[in-house]
Amino acid sequence: MTSFPLKIVTPDGLLFDGQAEELIVRTTSGDMGILAGHLPCVAPLGMGRAVIVTDGQRRYAACIGGMLSVTDQGVTLVPTTFEWADRIDVPRAEASEKRAKTVLANKSASDADLRLAEARLKRALVRKSVGSRQF
Amino acid sequence: MAGVSTKEIKNRIKSMESTKQITKAMEMVAASKLRRAQTQVLCSRPYFEILYETINDIVDSNREFSSPYLLPRTGSRVAYVVIAGDRGLAGGYNSNILKLCYAEMEGKNASVLPLGKKATDFFHARQMPILTEAYSVAEDVSVGDCFTMAKTLCKAYLAGEFDEIRVGYTNFVSVLSQTPATLRLLPLLRQQTTEKKPSGPEILYEPDSGAVFDAIIPEYLGGILYGALCESRAAEQAARRTAMDSATSNAEDMIADLSLKFNRARQAAITQEITEIVAGA
Repeated sequence: MTSFPLKIVTPDGLLFDGQAEELIVRTTSGDMGILAGHLPCVAPLGMGRAVIVTDGQRRYAACIGGMLSVTDQGVTLVPTTFEWADRIDVPRAEASEKRAKTVLANKSASDADLRLAEARLKRALVRKSVGSRQF
Repeated sequence: MAGVSTKEIKNRIKSMESTKQITKAMEMVAASKLRRAQTQVLCSRPYFEILYETINDIVDSNREFSSPYLLPRTGSRVAYVVIAGDRGLAGGYNSNILKLCYAEMEGKNASVLPLGKKATDFFHARQMPILTEAYSVAEDVSVGDCFTMAKTLCKAYLAGEFDEIRVGYTNFVSVLSQTPATLRLLPLLRQQTTEKKPSGPEILYEPDSGAVFDAIIPEYLGGILYGALCESRAAEQAARRTAMDSATSNAEDMIADLSLKFNRARQAAITQEITEIVAGA
Protein backbone atom coordinates (compact mmCIF):
# COMPACT_ATOMS: atom_id res chain seq x y z
CA MET A 1 0.00 0.00 0.00
CA THR A 2 1.20 3.51 -0.74
CA SER A 3 2.28 5.35 2.35
CA PHE A 4 2.47 9.01 3.24
CA PRO A 5 4.54 10.97 5.78
CA LEU A 6 2.68 11.47 9.03
CA LYS A 7 3.61 13.59 12.01
CA ILE A 8 1.83 13.56 15.33
CA VAL A 9 2.79 16.27 17.80
CA THR A 10 1.28 17.12 21.15
CA PRO A 11 2.47 19.51 23.86
CA ASP A 12 4.21 16.47 25.37
CA GLY A 13 6.39 15.94 22.35
CA LEU A 14 6.65 14.41 18.92
CA LEU A 15 4.83 11.10 19.23
CA PHE A 16 5.06 9.85 15.69
CA ASP A 17 7.16 10.84 12.74
CA GLY A 18 7.28 8.43 9.86
CA GLN A 19 5.41 6.74 7.06
CA ALA A 20 1.83 5.62 7.52
CA GLU A 21 -0.55 3.89 5.16
CA GLU A 22 -3.82 4.96 6.66
CA LEU A 23 -5.07 7.31 9.32
CA ILE A 24 -8.56 7.45 10.73
CA VAL A 25 -9.42 10.20 13.19
CA ARG A 26 -12.57 11.54 14.75
CA THR A 27 -13.09 15.11 13.57
CA THR A 28 -15.84 17.38 14.83
CA SER A 29 -17.95 16.29 11.87
CA GLY A 30 -17.32 12.56 12.23
CA ASP A 31 -14.70 9.96 11.50
CA MET A 32 -12.39 10.79 8.64
CA GLY A 33 -10.05 8.42 6.86
CA ILE A 34 -6.89 9.60 5.17
CA LEU A 35 -4.97 7.64 2.56
CA ALA A 36 -1.94 8.66 0.52
CA GLY A 37 -2.70 11.34 -2.06
CA HIS A 38 -5.50 12.96 -0.11
CA LEU A 39 -6.57 16.48 -1.08
CA PRO A 40 -5.10 19.26 1.06
CA CYS A 41 -7.53 19.57 3.89
CA VAL A 42 -7.91 21.00 7.37
CA ALA A 43 -10.27 19.77 10.04
CA PRO A 44 -10.67 20.35 13.77
CA LEU A 45 -10.50 17.18 15.84
CA GLY A 46 -13.20 15.95 18.15
CA MET A 47 -12.78 13.33 20.84
CA GLY A 48 -12.40 9.75 19.81
CA ARG A 49 -10.42 6.80 18.69
CA ALA A 50 -7.66 7.23 16.15
CA VAL A 51 -6.37 4.38 14.01
CA ILE A 52 -2.98 4.47 12.37
CA VAL A 53 -1.88 1.79 9.96
CA THR A 54 1.87 1.42 9.57
CA ASP A 55 3.49 -1.55 7.82
CA GLY A 56 0.16 -3.32 7.81
CA GLN A 57 -0.12 -2.98 11.60
CA ARG A 58 -3.11 -1.21 13.09
CA ARG A 59 -2.38 0.93 16.11
CA TYR A 60 -5.09 2.51 18.20
CA ALA A 61 -5.00 5.66 20.25
CA ALA A 62 -7.24 8.09 22.08
CA CYS A 63 -7.05 11.43 20.34
CA ILE A 64 -8.66 14.52 21.84
CA GLY A 65 -8.91 18.07 20.53
CA GLY A 66 -6.61 19.92 18.18
CA MET A 67 -6.47 19.76 14.43
CA LEU A 68 -5.62 17.71 11.39
CA SER A 69 -3.84 19.22 8.45
CA VAL A 70 -3.23 17.48 5.15
CA THR A 71 -0.91 19.17 2.68
CA ASP A 72 0.99 18.04 -0.40
CA GLN A 73 4.00 17.46 1.82
CA GLY A 74 2.28 15.17 4.26
CA VAL A 75 -0.17 14.84 7.06
CA THR A 76 0.18 16.62 10.39
CA LEU A 77 -1.94 15.70 13.35
CA VAL A 78 -1.79 18.27 16.16
CA PRO A 79 -4.00 16.99 18.97
CA THR A 80 -4.20 18.39 22.48
CA THR A 81 -3.79 14.92 23.93
CA PHE A 82 -2.91 11.72 22.15
CA GLU A 83 -2.37 8.41 23.92
CA TRP A 84 -1.57 5.06 22.40
CA ALA A 85 -4.04 2.43 23.51
CA ASP A 86 -1.41 0.37 25.36
CA ARG A 87 -0.33 3.40 27.36
CA ILE A 88 -3.75 4.29 28.68
CA ASP A 89 -4.30 3.85 32.37
CA VAL A 90 -7.81 2.37 32.36
CA PRO A 91 -8.39 2.41 36.15
CA ARG A 92 -7.43 6.08 36.20
CA ALA A 93 -9.88 6.83 33.40
CA GLU A 94 -12.57 4.96 35.33
CA ALA A 95 -11.83 6.94 38.47
CA SER A 96 -12.03 10.14 36.48
CA GLU A 97 -15.34 9.00 34.99
CA LYS A 98 -16.73 8.32 38.44
CA ARG A 99 -15.61 11.73 39.75
CA ALA A 100 -17.17 13.49 36.78
CA LYS A 101 -20.42 11.60 37.25
CA THR A 102 -20.70 12.60 40.91
CA VAL A 103 -20.26 16.25 39.93
CA LEU A 104 -22.87 15.92 37.19
CA ALA A 105 -25.29 14.26 39.62
CA ASN A 106 -24.91 17.17 42.01
CA LYS A 107 -27.80 19.56 41.25
CA SER A 108 -26.22 22.53 42.97
CA ALA A 109 -22.96 22.49 41.01
CA SER A 110 -22.13 25.70 39.17
CA ASP A 111 -22.35 25.99 35.40
CA ALA A 112 -18.60 26.12 34.96
CA ASP A 113 -18.13 23.03 37.11
CA LEU A 114 -20.76 21.17 35.14
CA ARG A 115 -19.11 22.02 31.86
CA LEU A 116 -15.72 20.92 33.16
CA ALA A 117 -17.16 17.69 34.50
CA GLU A 118 -18.91 17.00 31.22
CA ALA A 119 -15.70 17.45 29.27
CA ARG A 120 -13.87 15.26 31.74
CA LEU A 121 -16.52 12.56 31.46
CA LYS A 122 -16.23 12.58 27.67
CA ARG A 123 -12.46 12.32 27.84
CA ALA A 124 -12.64 9.55 30.39
CA LEU A 125 -15.11 7.56 28.29
CA VAL A 126 -12.95 7.87 25.19
CA ARG A 127 -9.88 6.76 27.13
CA LYS A 128 -11.70 3.89 28.74
CA SER A 129 -13.14 2.55 25.51
CA VAL A 130 -9.86 2.85 23.62
CA GLY A 131 -7.81 1.52 26.52
CA SER A 132 -9.97 -1.53 27.06
CA ARG A 133 -10.44 -2.03 23.31
CA GLN A 134 -14.20 -1.91 23.31
CA PHE A 135 -14.77 -0.11 20.08
CA MET B 1 43.18 49.13 67.06
CA ALA B 2 44.35 46.09 65.21
CA GLY B 3 42.20 43.82 67.38
CA VAL B 4 38.99 45.63 66.43
CA SER B 5 39.79 45.51 62.76
CA THR B 6 40.53 41.78 62.76
CA LYS B 7 37.21 41.20 64.50
CA GLU B 8 35.41 43.33 61.95
CA ILE B 9 37.00 41.46 59.10
CA LYS B 10 36.13 38.16 60.73
CA ASN B 11 32.47 39.21 60.92
CA ARG B 12 32.41 40.24 57.29
CA ILE B 13 33.93 36.93 56.24
CA LYS B 14 31.28 35.11 58.23
CA SER B 15 28.41 37.00 56.64
CA MET B 16 29.96 36.51 53.22
CA GLU B 17 30.17 32.78 53.88
CA SER B 18 26.49 32.57 54.66
CA THR B 19 25.57 34.63 51.60
CA LYS B 20 27.66 32.28 49.54
CA GLN B 21 25.87 29.31 51.00
CA ILE B 22 22.52 30.78 50.05
CA THR B 23 23.50 31.66 46.49
CA LYS B 24 25.09 28.27 46.09
CA ALA B 25 21.91 26.55 47.25
CA MET B 26 19.79 28.69 44.95
CA GLU B 27 22.07 27.85 42.07
CA MET B 28 21.68 24.16 42.74
CA VAL B 29 17.89 24.41 43.00
CA ALA B 30 17.78 26.40 39.76
CA ALA B 31 20.02 23.86 38.07
CA SER B 32 17.76 20.97 38.95
CA LYS B 33 14.63 22.91 37.97
CA LEU B 34 16.37 23.92 34.77
CA ARG B 35 16.98 20.31 33.85
CA ARG B 36 13.28 19.57 34.18
CA ALA B 37 12.25 22.73 32.31
CA GLN B 38 14.75 21.99 29.59
CA THR B 39 13.32 18.55 28.84
CA GLN B 40 9.86 20.08 28.81
CA VAL B 41 10.97 22.70 26.30
CA LEU B 42 12.59 20.09 24.10
CA CYS B 43 9.39 18.05 24.19
CA SER B 44 7.03 20.90 23.48
CA ARG B 45 9.17 22.68 20.91
CA PRO B 46 8.20 20.50 17.92
CA TYR B 47 4.55 21.06 18.82
CA PHE B 48 5.03 24.80 19.07
CA GLU B 49 6.88 24.92 15.74
CA ILE B 50 4.65 22.59 13.77
CA LEU B 51 1.53 24.29 15.06
CA TYR B 52 2.89 27.69 14.07
CA GLU B 53 4.00 26.48 10.64
CA THR B 54 0.77 24.66 9.91
CA ILE B 55 -1.37 27.65 10.80
CA ASN B 56 0.82 29.98 8.78
CA ASP B 57 0.65 27.62 5.81
CA ILE B 58 -3.10 27.60 6.03
CA VAL B 59 -3.26 31.37 6.31
CA ASP B 60 -0.83 31.87 3.42
CA SER B 61 -2.59 29.53 1.05
CA ASN B 62 -6.04 30.61 2.05
CA ARG B 63 -7.77 32.97 -0.32
CA GLU B 64 -11.42 32.24 -0.42
CA PHE B 65 -12.95 33.69 2.69
CA SER B 66 -12.41 36.25 5.37
CA SER B 67 -12.61 35.08 8.93
CA PRO B 68 -12.54 37.85 11.55
CA TYR B 69 -9.31 36.28 12.79
CA LEU B 70 -7.55 37.02 9.51
CA LEU B 71 -8.52 40.63 8.92
CA PRO B 72 -6.18 43.40 10.03
CA ARG B 73 -7.92 45.93 12.23
CA THR B 74 -7.21 49.62 12.34
CA GLY B 75 -7.67 50.29 16.06
CA SER B 76 -4.86 50.41 18.56
CA ARG B 77 -6.33 48.43 21.42
CA VAL B 78 -3.79 45.73 22.08
CA ALA B 79 -3.95 42.95 24.62
CA TYR B 80 -0.59 41.77 25.85
CA VAL B 81 0.02 38.43 27.50
CA VAL B 82 3.26 39.01 29.38
CA ILE B 83 5.06 36.00 30.82
CA ALA B 84 7.59 36.74 33.56
CA GLY B 85 8.73 35.04 36.74
CA ASP B 86 7.31 34.88 40.25
CA ARG B 87 10.56 35.66 42.02
CA GLY B 88 13.53 37.90 41.53
CA LEU B 89 17.22 37.09 41.76
CA ALA B 90 17.24 35.83 38.22
CA GLY B 91 19.62 38.32 36.67
CA GLY B 92 18.02 40.40 33.93
CA TYR B 93 15.28 37.88 33.21
CA ASN B 94 12.31 39.80 34.58
CA SER B 95 13.44 43.31 33.77
CA ASN B 96 14.40 42.45 30.19
CA ILE B 97 11.02 41.07 29.19
CA LEU B 98 9.05 43.68 31.15
CA LYS B 99 11.03 46.55 29.67
CA LEU B 100 10.63 45.21 26.15
CA CYS B 101 6.88 44.86 26.52
CA TYR B 102 6.48 48.22 28.23
CA ALA B 103 8.43 49.97 25.48
CA GLU B 104 6.24 48.32 22.85
CA MET B 105 3.05 49.35 24.59
CA GLU B 106 4.02 53.02 24.48
CA GLY B 107 1.48 55.00 22.51
CA LYS B 108 -0.91 52.09 22.22
CA ASN B 109 -4.10 51.54 24.07
CA ALA B 110 -2.76 48.46 25.74
CA SER B 111 -4.10 46.17 28.40
CA VAL B 112 -2.16 43.39 30.03
CA LEU B 113 -2.73 39.80 31.05
CA PRO B 114 0.25 39.18 33.30
CA LEU B 115 1.63 35.72 34.05
CA GLY B 116 3.92 35.73 37.04
CA LYS B 117 4.02 37.84 40.16
CA LYS B 118 6.76 40.11 38.87
CA ALA B 119 4.75 41.00 35.77
CA THR B 120 1.62 41.63 37.83
CA ASP B 121 3.46 43.95 40.22
CA PHE B 122 5.24 45.78 37.40
CA PHE B 123 2.08 46.67 35.48
CA HIS B 124 0.21 47.45 38.68
CA ALA B 125 2.84 49.99 39.62
CA ARG B 126 2.49 51.63 36.21
CA GLN B 127 -1.29 51.73 36.40
CA MET B 128 -1.83 49.67 33.27
CA PRO B 129 -5.27 48.13 32.81
CA ILE B 130 -5.01 44.49 33.84
CA LEU B 131 -7.39 41.94 32.35
CA THR B 132 -7.18 39.30 35.03
CA GLU B 133 -4.87 38.38 37.84
CA ALA B 134 -5.98 34.78 37.89
CA TYR B 135 -2.63 33.67 36.49
CA SER B 136 -0.37 35.75 38.66
CA VAL B 137 1.58 32.71 39.82
CA ALA B 138 3.40 31.54 36.70
CA GLU B 139 4.55 28.31 38.30
CA ASP B 140 0.97 27.09 38.80
CA VAL B 141 -0.23 27.73 35.25
CA SER B 142 -0.99 24.44 33.49
CA VAL B 143 -1.72 23.42 29.91
CA GLY B 144 -5.42 23.54 30.72
CA ASP B 145 -5.08 27.11 31.98
CA CYS B 146 -3.39 28.08 28.71
CA PHE B 147 -6.32 26.73 26.72
CA THR B 148 -8.90 28.45 28.94
CA MET B 149 -6.95 31.69 28.63
CA ALA B 150 -6.85 31.30 24.85
CA LYS B 151 -10.59 30.75 24.70
CA THR B 152 -11.30 33.87 26.77
CA LEU B 153 -8.93 35.95 24.64
CA CYS B 154 -10.50 34.70 21.42
CA LYS B 155 -13.97 35.52 22.67
CA ALA B 156 -12.88 39.02 23.64
CA TYR B 157 -11.18 39.45 20.29
CA LEU B 158 -14.27 38.38 18.38
CA ALA B 159 -16.41 40.69 20.49
CA GLY B 160 -14.19 43.52 19.30
CA GLU B 161 -12.65 44.33 22.66
CA PHE B 162 -9.15 44.22 21.17
CA ASP B 163 -7.69 44.87 17.75
CA GLU B 164 -4.59 42.83 18.34
CA ILE B 165 -3.33 40.18 20.73
CA ARG B 166 0.37 39.81 21.41
CA VAL B 167 2.41 37.64 23.73
CA GLY B 168 5.67 38.68 25.40
CA TYR B 169 7.92 35.84 26.47
CA THR B 170 11.58 34.90 26.78
CA ASN B 171 13.17 32.59 24.26
CA PHE B 172 15.34 29.89 25.77
CA VAL B 173 18.22 29.91 23.31
CA SER B 174 20.70 28.10 25.49
CA VAL B 175 21.66 27.87 29.15
CA LEU B 176 23.79 30.99 28.74
CA SER B 177 21.56 33.00 26.45
CA GLN B 178 17.91 33.99 26.72
CA THR B 179 16.28 36.58 24.51
CA PRO B 180 13.02 38.35 25.27
CA ALA B 181 10.60 38.57 22.35
CA THR B 182 7.05 39.45 21.47
CA LEU B 183 4.86 37.63 19.00
CA ARG B 184 1.57 38.60 17.39
CA LEU B 185 -1.07 35.97 18.01
CA LEU B 186 -4.06 37.66 16.41
CA PRO B 187 -4.95 38.73 13.81
CA LEU B 188 -3.19 36.15 11.67
CA LEU B 189 -1.82 38.03 8.71
CA ARG B 190 -0.32 36.75 5.53
CA GLN B 191 3.41 37.11 5.40
CA GLN B 192 3.94 39.60 2.60
CA THR B 193 7.47 38.40 1.93
CA THR B 194 6.49 34.94 0.82
CA GLU B 195 4.48 35.44 -2.33
CA LYS B 196 2.72 32.11 -2.49
CA LYS B 197 1.96 30.81 -5.94
CA PRO B 198 -1.77 30.65 -6.40
CA SER B 199 -1.49 27.22 -8.02
CA GLY B 200 -2.18 23.88 -6.39
CA PRO B 201 -5.51 22.54 -5.28
CA GLU B 202 -7.75 24.43 -2.95
CA ILE B 203 -7.67 23.42 0.67
CA LEU B 204 -10.67 21.43 1.68
CA TYR B 205 -12.21 22.61 4.95
CA GLU B 206 -14.26 20.12 6.86
CA PRO B 207 -17.11 20.97 7.67
CA ASP B 208 -16.57 24.53 6.37
CA SER B 209 -13.90 27.19 6.57
CA GLY B 210 -15.62 29.37 9.17
CA ALA B 211 -16.27 26.49 11.55
CA VAL B 212 -12.74 25.18 11.08
CA PHE B 213 -11.17 28.49 11.96
CA ASP B 214 -13.49 29.01 14.92
CA ALA B 215 -12.45 25.64 16.31
CA ILE B 216 -8.77 25.75 15.44
CA ILE B 217 -7.75 29.29 16.38
CA PRO B 218 -8.39 28.98 20.13
CA GLU B 219 -6.48 25.67 20.09
CA TYR B 220 -3.66 27.32 18.21
CA LEU B 221 -3.55 30.20 20.65
CA GLY B 222 -3.54 27.85 23.63
CA GLY B 223 -0.74 25.78 22.13
CA ILE B 224 1.38 28.82 21.37
CA LEU B 225 0.80 30.25 24.84
CA TYR B 226 1.82 26.97 26.41
CA GLY B 227 4.94 26.84 24.26
CA ALA B 228 5.82 30.41 25.21
CA LEU B 229 5.29 29.55 28.87
CA CYS B 230 7.61 26.55 28.66
CA GLU B 231 10.28 28.63 26.95
CA SER B 232 9.98 31.36 29.56
CA ARG B 233 10.15 28.93 32.47
CA ALA B 234 13.32 27.34 31.17
CA ALA B 235 14.78 30.77 30.46
CA GLU B 236 13.99 31.90 34.00
CA GLN B 237 15.76 28.95 35.58
CA ALA B 238 18.72 29.34 33.25
CA ALA B 239 18.97 33.05 34.04
CA ARG B 240 18.73 32.37 37.77
CA ARG B 241 21.36 29.66 37.60
CA THR B 242 23.79 31.94 35.77
CA ALA B 243 23.11 34.85 38.11
CA MET B 244 23.58 32.71 41.21
CA ASP B 245 26.69 31.11 39.77
CA SER B 246 28.32 34.50 39.31
CA ALA B 247 27.11 35.63 42.75
CA THR B 248 28.76 32.57 44.31
CA SER B 249 32.03 33.18 42.54
CA ASN B 250 31.91 36.85 43.53
CA ALA B 251 31.42 35.82 47.14
CA GLU B 252 34.39 33.46 46.87
CA ASP B 253 36.56 36.27 45.48
CA MET B 254 35.56 38.56 48.30
CA ILE B 255 36.20 35.91 50.92
CA ALA B 256 39.68 35.30 49.51
CA ASP B 257 40.35 39.02 49.54
CA LEU B 258 39.09 39.43 53.10
CA SER B 259 41.05 36.42 54.38
CA LEU B 260 44.22 37.99 53.04
CA LYS B 261 43.38 41.26 54.80
CA PHE B 262 42.55 39.38 57.97
CA ASN B 263 45.87 37.55 57.99
CA ARG B 264 47.76 40.76 57.34
CA ALA B 265 46.00 42.53 60.20
CA ARG B 266 46.66 39.61 62.54
CA GLN B 267 50.33 39.55 61.57
CA ALA B 268 50.57 43.32 62.04
CA ALA B 269 49.10 43.03 65.53
CA ILE B 270 51.62 40.33 66.52
CA THR B 271 54.53 42.31 65.13
CA GLN B 272 53.39 45.39 67.00
CA GLU B 273 53.09 43.44 70.24
CA ILE B 274 56.63 42.07 69.87
CA THR B 275 58.01 45.53 69.12
CA GLU B 276 56.31 46.89 72.22
CA ILE B 277 57.71 44.11 74.44
CA VAL B 278 61.23 44.47 73.01
CA ALA B 279 61.12 48.27 73.36
CA GLY B 280 59.83 48.00 76.98
CA ALA B 281 62.59 45.55 78.08
